[in-house]
Amino acid sequence: MLKLQNVTVIYPDKTKAIDNLSFTLNAGENVALLGDNGAGKTSLLLAIAGVLELAEGTIEIDDMQLSKKTLNEFRKRVGLVFQNPDDQLFMPFIYDDIAFGCRNFGMPEEQIEARVEETLSQLNISHLRNRSSLKLSCGEKRMAAIATVLAMNPSILMFDEPTAYLDQKARRLLVDTLKNLQHEKIIATHDIAFATEVCDRMVILKNGRVENSAAPNS
Amino acid sequence: MKHRIHELNALEQLSSGDTFIHRLHPMAKLLSAVFFIITVISHDRYALMQLIPYVFYPTLLMALSETPYSMLLKRFMVAFPFCFFAGMSNLIFVPAPYGVISFFTIIFRTYLCVMAVLLLVSTTPFFEIANSLRFLKIPNIFIVIFEMTYRYICVLLEEVHSMYIAYSLRSAGAKGIKMRDMGSFAGQLLLRSFDRADRIYNAMKCRGYALHILPQNGRNFMLKDFIFFAVVCFFCIWFRFKGI
Ligand SMILES: Nc1ncnc2c1ncn2[C@@H]1O[C@H](COP(=O)(O)OP(=O)(O)OP(=O)(O)O)[C@@H](O)[C@H]1O
Ligand SMILES: [Mg+2]
Repeated sequence: MLKLQNVTVIYPDKTKAIDNLSFTLNAGENVALLGDNGAGKTSLLLAIAGVLELAEGTIEIDDMQLSKKTLNEFRKRVGLVFQNPDDQLFMPFIYDDIAFGCRNFGMPEEQIEARVEETLSQLNISHLRNRSSLKLSCGEKRMAAIATVLAMNPSILMFDEPTAYLDQKARRLLVDTLKNLQHEKIIATHDIAFATEVCDRMVILKNGRVENSAAPNS
Repeated sequence: MKHRIHELNALEQLSSGDTFIHRLHPMAKLLSAVFFIITVISHDRYALMQLIPYVFYPTLLMALSETPYSMLLKRFMVAFPFCFFAGMSNLIFVPAPYGVISFFTIIFRTYLCVMAVLLLVSTTPFFEIANSLRFLKIPNIFIVIFEMTYRYICVLLEEVHSMYIAYSLRSAGAKGIKMRDMGSFAGQLLLRSFDRADRIYNAMKCRGYALHILPQNGRNFMLKDFIFFAVVCFFCIWFRFKGI
């Protein structure tokens, strides 16, 4: 369970990206974050991942509050898939990209190997194992980026515009993949059809606040 | 340009090979390379003949690790102009036989050192080198700079590539970048790379990269690692003080 209370995020240039926002992600729930360009979706996800500092408010996962001390533990539990997979794939091989997080959290090498293989086959991308991210298609990159996060075994998965640049077939594959993942999810998207298919609840942001929150078909 | 990036990657891709050299402990390879480089550098500037035996190290490593020579040579060629011009002044200012000797010594010495580094990189995964450096108590900040520089070179090249394509598609068939556009191209490139680097750094932090010291995991230093290191040291010292 993830709980945000009165969260405010202000960028160094004084832009208030998130304004006194409160929001709860219940256990087992999939939530879509909708809103116009600049509504604050990306900023909210970055704040939850502990990348942007909070000007005010608190963020908790299962009673653990986000702070400097708990930052590492927090990042182990929330995985963020960035909007642009190129930002997320920076190692020479997809294998190393997926192992990157596990290594940082000090998992032994044999365990990492097993974990990477498992993640690759879970997403049906074992053939990408020894490829370089520079040579993949957008759909393949997207899957690889998801794998890098999934390998760390987080309890909450967050996606920033996962359907961007995908064709119908890749989008279909993504929908099926996401439906199969049992994690709690927060998905920032402009794609309402996609949100309806994957999520249980929609939260609409406007100017950094929650404007509306409802089940998808209402 | 894209080709260049792949080349940079290709060398690293070799590092996941599985030969005797690849299986050695990263620390043994790192220390051997450092020791080798120090001994080579410690020779004086006319020591062309004394340097020749040192080819044993790159040759041996290359053979044992099955690294293609052409790949290494291509990369050495990147460093070649620099040492060529550094050596030029000797050719001009130092009187006849000595100038020529020291010119070739500089080039040969650079060749040996570059080979040692390239072979280290092509047989040892990057994170293992960084881990070994950490273990040696090299200040973390240097290692982070090293890791970052390394990653960002690729980012920079990729940005250049995509900006260059976008530019040339709109420049009516002209080759290269016009002088008057050079300034804004470079400025834009810098800003974009910063921006991109920032996002990559965020992605790294999200996956636990927090500038902290990693536990040295996995392999132990074994007898063969020690023997490898000892053999390299032995020959280096021998060539240094006894010659052949
Ligand atoms: N690095 C930054 N520095 C300053 N202001 C920023 C920065 N990044 C975003 N903003 C501002 O914060 C606000 C929220 O931006 P954010 O990127 O979170 O929106 P978004 O909902 O993700 O939009 P989009 O749908 O276009 O991705 C915007 O007004 C934006 O201009
Ligand atoms: Mg966004």
